[in-house]
Amino acid sequence: MGLRNFFDRIEPNFVKGGRYEKLFPIYEMVESFLYTPKTVTTVAPHARSYIDMKRIMTYVVIATIPCILVGLYNVGFQTNSAIATYGASGWRAWIIEALGIGFNPANPLANILHGLLYFLPIYVTTLVVGGICEVVFATIRGHEVNEGFLVTSMLYALILPPSAPLWQVGLGIAFGVVIGKEVFGGTGKNFLNPALTGRAFLYFAYPAQMSGDTIWTPVDGFSGATALSVTASDSYTQLAEYGVTWMDSFLGVMQGSIGETSALACFIGLAFLLITKIANWRLIVGCLAGMIGFSTLLNLIGSDTNPMFAMPWYWHLVIGGYAFGLAFMVTEPVSASHTNLGRYIYGALIGVMVVMIRVINPAFPEGMMLAILFGNVFAPLIDYFVVQANIKRRAKRNA
Amino acid sequence: MPEDTPQKANEAKKGFVRRFLDLPPDSVPKTVFVAVSLCLVASMIVSAAAVSLRPLQEVNRLKDKQVNILQVAGRYEPGIDVTEAFATFEPHVLELATGEFTDQFDPATFDDLAAASDPATSIALEDDPASIGRQSKFVTVYLLRKDDGSLDKVILPLHGYGLWSTLYGFISLEANGNDIYGLQFYQHAETPGLGAEVDNPRWKALWQGKKLRDDSGELLITVAKTAPPQGPEYHIDALAGATLTSVGVDNLVRFWMGEAGYAPFLENLQAGEI
Amino acid sequence: MAQTKRKMLVDPLVDNNPITLQVLGICSALAVTSSLQVAFVMSIAVTLVTGFSSMFISMLRNHIPGSIRIIVQMVIIASLVIIVDQLLKAYAFEISKTLSVFVGLIITNCIVMGRAEAFAMKNPPLASFIDGVGNGLGYGLILMLVGFIRELFGAGSLFGLTIFETVNNGGWYIPNGMLLLPPSAFFIIGLLIWAFRTWKPEQVEDAEYKIQAVESH
Repeated sequence: MGLRNFFDRIEPNFVKGGRYEKLFPIYEMVESFLYTPKTVTTVAPHARSYIDMKRIMTYVVIATIPCILVGLYNVGFQTNSAIATYGASGWRAWIIEALGIGFNPANPLANILHGLLYFLPIYVTTLVVGGICEVVFATIRGHEVNEGFLVTSMLYALILPPSAPLWQVGLGIAFGVVIGKEVFGGTGKNFLNPALTGRAFLYFAYPAQMSGDTIWTPVDGFSGATALSVTASDSYTQLAEYGVTWMDSFLGVMQGSIGETSALACFIGLAFLLITKIANWRLIVGCLAGMIGFSTLLNLIGSDTNPMFAMPWYWHLVIGGYAFGLAFMVTEPVSASHTNLGRYIYGALIGVMVVMIRVINPAFPEGMMLAILFGNVFAPLIDYFVVQANIKRRAKRNA
Repeated sequence: MPEDTPQKANEAKKGFVRRFLDLPPDSVPKTVFVAVSLCLVASMIVSAAAVSLRPLQEVNRLKDKQVNILQVAGRYEPGIDVTEAFATFEPHVLELATGEFTDQFDPATFDDLAAASDPATSIALEDDPASIGRQSKFVTVYLLRKDDGSLDKVILPLHGYGLWSTLYGFISLEANGNDIYGLQFYQHAETPGLGAEVDNPRWKALWQGKKLRDDSGELLITVAKTAPPQGPEYHIDALAGATLTSVGVDNLVRFWMGEAGYAPFLENLQAGEI
Repeated sequence: MAQTKRKMLVDPLVDNNPITLQVLGICSALAVTSSLQVAFVMSIAVTLVTGFSSMFISMLRNHIPGSIRIIVQMVIIASLVIIVDQLLKAYAFEISKTLSVFVGLIITNCIVMGRAEAFAMKNPPLASFIDGVGNGLGYGLILMLVGFIRELFGAGSLFGLTIFETVNNGGWYIPNGMLLLPPSAFFIIGLLIWAFRTWKPEQVEDAEYKIQAVESH
């Protein structure tokens, strides 16, 4: 193992008292990325789970693979389909033509390649900018750069529209990492989900590039509404006229952010997380119950002026970011509630809020991002009350 | 106690005011006195300020409205004498249902907003696309004449609900009652940077030269993302990223230009009866 | 004495800033900082009200009954606020339109009440006046900093003059819309507090509790 020897040889330079002592976090990052850490953490913030952090984070990244694949295919498919009408331009078209692959939407390989040409720049920008922020904080604060960032950057890249300008991508992840995580002390102390914090920042800062009908397929002149905005303006029953069936949105062949169009892919990832016990099933149950209960209630109430009231729960489930948020954001262990009862409440709160924002708020057709951030803020409070109730009950019993 | 006597004599020598000020602050008479006198002094100062500044404030308020009317008619430049420039505008109180001017009210004192909430001068709307609830039966409109006395422009007030707030504004039309000269909102609370771009001069400039109706008299003007099939002269591009504000503007313009709004007046105008 | 008066004036700017250290007056700092011009007028208004209300309250301090002192302070502050509001409406109508209710809400600005209760009730009029003005300026300094960032990056202009030509006006700058919304001031004030406390570590409060140290890898 030449590489292991290399690390062993240079390690003394980085430990306390060594020549590059200040750069230890960078050394540690590279070393622990390649090898299993030698030490096992035993205290907070890691004490809440029995599998080590590196494994959790790696499993989450593995769980996103179906979403990445469907996302790449879908972005490429939508783009190639639109190119047939509007024509191709830009450096991506140049590469594809140079490779001789062409823009045939019926060719899955061409679609995946074209999607990759949109996804990779976004992902690389996220890694570079977010990574720099992480390393700067790690070096100054003296904590390690950990694998949590790999998850954050992957999730963040998947919830962006494919046409997102790269400078905005960089600004968003910098905001997410710094404000969402590092100012509170780094991984384990972040009460907000950093990927969503960055996405929310972009949503409010640059709405023209982050919402609307022209951003989901990166072809000039193309305009295609997301399923949610069609539902908000007409009705979910009209979706078929826009070429979106329930099966389409279940499989993920429609307008939307890169990784979140396919409910199926998200559920595959979720199943993986549940089997490996990284995701807590109580969160899922709570979030599904909240969403199904509240949307059914709204179906019963009904409204003459707002067609969103009529949308049944099985549509809420598959369109927009609900499935993706459910699989990867609601289940995020740090920012969710930590008590078992709290997990049901936390999940239900998000489920109710997402339907409330989607249906009742006129300004935001999608509510998953805001609902989860809202839940994040309430999670510690929910835990507090659950713990207090528990203390009271015990005090009564032993009185 | 013997020491009391000289002190009491001493106190008696002090005037009433002095003795009162020396009372401990928490004694009842002092508390009442401080409370009453402070309220008196404060209320006098405040009302003096309010009364003496009122004329100036009234002028400001009037000027603000006049500036908006001048702007929508394209007659405003920074630094002009607003009152003088505004003197060329003829205010009239218009009865919407008949489309004719009325002498019932004096245009100088008629208050459109007060009329809209007074049951005697307003109606509750059944069909209310602009979401304004009650509509006044009478509104103040302004006519602008050319030097030769012929009609140049008409300026009509309108309002309606956007995303977060009611937008209040004016639309100015050419003498033919069909070509738009300009649209301007003077009061709203839409999202800064998105809906509030209704104030953007570039967006406002889009309105100039658009037409309300086609030759058959059908109301076609629309604010939308894509042009209607009848042609671009009836279409104003929606605000980027502000769908609901754009829908609100579309609704309120179409409402006020329609039968419930100024349509009777505009017909009279085109028939040359104004 | 001259030295302490100067200190009274300068102290609230950085060392004892009402916004970044005492965290008072946040509400209006969120609401009026989307443009520098408005922030500037608001700063002046608050400085005047804080200075004069402190002075008047200090003049009356020996006669204000303890049982109704808060109401007395409120009456004095409220009267001053109304006068400022009336003056703005008469002489600066455009600005008073954008400030709208926030001038009236100066009365609820904790800085004014705070200085009246904490300083003016115990100190002579001149000192109270200087202290009030100093705190008003400290508030104004933060307002101007926040307003600078929000207007420059949110609208591409400063005091209404275009610095970056925005895309909507045919330029290149894509303005950051979030900075035009009030919540962005929370982030900026938070970052300012961070910057101030990095510069002057003595402002950092003691932690209420400590998280157990993590074993190093």
